[in-house]
Amino acid sequence: MSFSTFVTDKPGLQKLYEAIISKHETYAPVEKFGKFDYRKVSSLKECNTNSPIEMTMSVKPLFFPRSAKIMKYETSSAGTSICETDEDPLAGQRVILGVKHCDARGLQVLEAVNKWDYIDSDFLKRRNNTVIFSTRCDKAATHCFCTSLDYDLENLDATDVAVVHGTDGKIYIQPRTEKGNAFMQEFAPALAIAEGDAPAELKKQYTAFASSFRLKMDYKDIHEKMAKRFDSTAFEEASRNCVSCNTCAFICPTCHCFKISDVKIKDTGVRYKSYDSCNNIYFTLEAGGHNPRPAKYRRWRQRSMHKFVFYKEKFGVNLCVGCGHCAISCPVNISIFDVVNHVASSPISS
Amino acid sequence: MDYSKQIQDIAAKLFTEGKIDVFVGYRMNGFDDNQVPAVITGPEELSTLVFTEKSVFNLSNYLKADHTRNKRVGLVVKGCDSRSLNLLLTESQVKRDKLYIIGIACEGVTDDKGQKMQNCMECSFPDAVIFDELLGTPKGKKEYQVNVDIRALAEKSLVERREYFEEIFENCIRCNACRHSCPLCYCAKCCIDQETASLYNGSNTSSSAFHALMTWSLHLAGRCVDCRNCEKACPSHLPLHLLHKQNEKVIFENFQNHLAGVEEGDRGAFYKYSLKDPDDFIL
Repeated sequence: MSFSTFVTDKPGLQKLYEAIISKHETYAPVEKFGKFDYRKVSSLKECNTNSPIEMTMSVKPLFFPRSAKIMKYETSSAGTSICETDEDPLAGQRVILGVKHCDARGLQVLEAVNKWDYIDSDFLKRRNNTVIFSTRCDKAATHCFCTSLDYDLENLDATDVAVVHGTDGKIYIQPRTEKGNAFMQEFAPALAIAEGDAPAELKKQYTAFASSFRLKMDYKDIHEKMAKRFDSTAFEEASRNCVSCNTCAFICPTCHCFKISDVKIKDTGVRYKSYDSCNNIYFTLEAGGHNPRPAKYRRWRQRSMHKFVFYKEKFGVNLCVGCGHCAISCPVNISIFDVVNHVASSPISS
Repeated sequence: MDYSKQIQDIAAKLFTEGKIDVFVGYRMNGFDDNQVPAVITGPEELSTLVFTEKSVFNLSNYLKADHTRNKRVGLVVKGCDSRSLNLLLTESQVKRDKLYIIGIACEGVTDDKGQKMQNCMECSFPDAVIFDELLGTPKGKKEYQVNVDIRALAEKSLVERREYFEEIFENCIRCNACRHSCPLCYCAKCCIDQETASLYNGSNTSSSAFHALMTWSLHLAGRCVDCRNCEKACPSHLPLHLLHKQNEKVIFENFQNHLAGVEEGDRGAFYKYSLKDPDDFIL
């Protein structure tokens, strides 16, 4: 890593953010109905760039929209013709400020599946044209467990520019990728380059942050433990409270199941790609009426096994970033952490 | 309001006498002072049961789950929960002889921040209306109040109201958590899941959210008991009670002060016929 780290103070950071907002299309956490969501902003006053830890919505919808038009078609007596949609997969560059690190990690994890087999050009185009500014958290929220899942000081490449509020009161701005570094060149003249003690200070900040976690677990061999417990009754016990409401999947930064639906009015139709969830009872319902996953615990088994076993085997990373969004939004506070912890520590059934 | 000990004793007795297979109550969530539902299948876990003003979730929602279907169930219900249970009984979703109902004379529950919930401040029936055993001192029926938010909305202009509701529908992500957490939404195939219905169409656009939420609220008109399970489940924190409370107000004013699930065997305003019903809207 040879990019130089910049150092500034609170007013300096505000000035930088204001300059970015005035020059580029910018998104940042905005409060609506008492929860934060990443939205387009035109001034710094509208948003909270300090990454509120209780944030409930992830950054995923800006890359994988809740409902994307993928095709338009027209039918006539001559047959069906396909025409272009008005969906714009992002032509110019945009910036997202105040992204939580776990959210950005979610995108990094999702890239693997979007580059595999079928290449989702829209997702990749959106990611390539976006500069992500992450704000490192100072302390963990109730349901956070990101430090348990591959997140450490070295592994910050998910974001383009990391903004760290040091314990010494200074703010360190650290470009992490080529794209982030190139973007920062525009604003570099107004900023000072950090002295040699910056890495030590960043480490200190990380240590303070890592010690604030309530949830800790050794996830190194979790996929082996889980794989051995496919038939465990622990899934049934852990999912007993679930009301199958699907909230967890819709707000998860890494869940990427979708459904395709056609909306046809008279002769023109639009095909939508929208979110779906494996916790939904209809998810695996076949046209003939057979449902391979009718019971709640089987759907939970699929969800947790996909996150910690299947994805890990295929792409080498867990499909969970430990953000705890699912537990915050769940009406009965079920956390994927508790489910996986319960299953991994249960006896192996013969 | 702390009935933890009484509930533990009753549940222990029920298990010992072999009267129930499952007990549905509340337990602490394990990380702060809020509670989550507890579905208990044996007497071992009974000591975890609690009941205080933090026992918010409407447990009659669990009567449609795999663990309780066709089983003998012990259940804790507050005033609003008991009204939804009454409706489930009337609509033949559960059998009365399979239930042992612990009713609570509720003093109101609080939200995550410790504030008394809005529906509790306006509650007309704080005491459980159906029970085998009642805990607490009954306070009796209170006068019906029109919801404070509905009154505030009524003063706004039509344009302002439309803009407000458009914002609500735009923020809906169509996860259908509201429907799944509603104790009275038990249809095996919900109409808003029909992929062929282009009104709902499965996409997450604000137009499909509008149609889905309106259909949902109209299906619950005259049935909604204002337990706020839907609002608690909504990840977008939408004020979903507005849709239901407006229906409730119109029905209360037009159908002889009808409130859902208060009387045993009551089928709901739209499912029964009375000569006193207004007919001025019939062409």
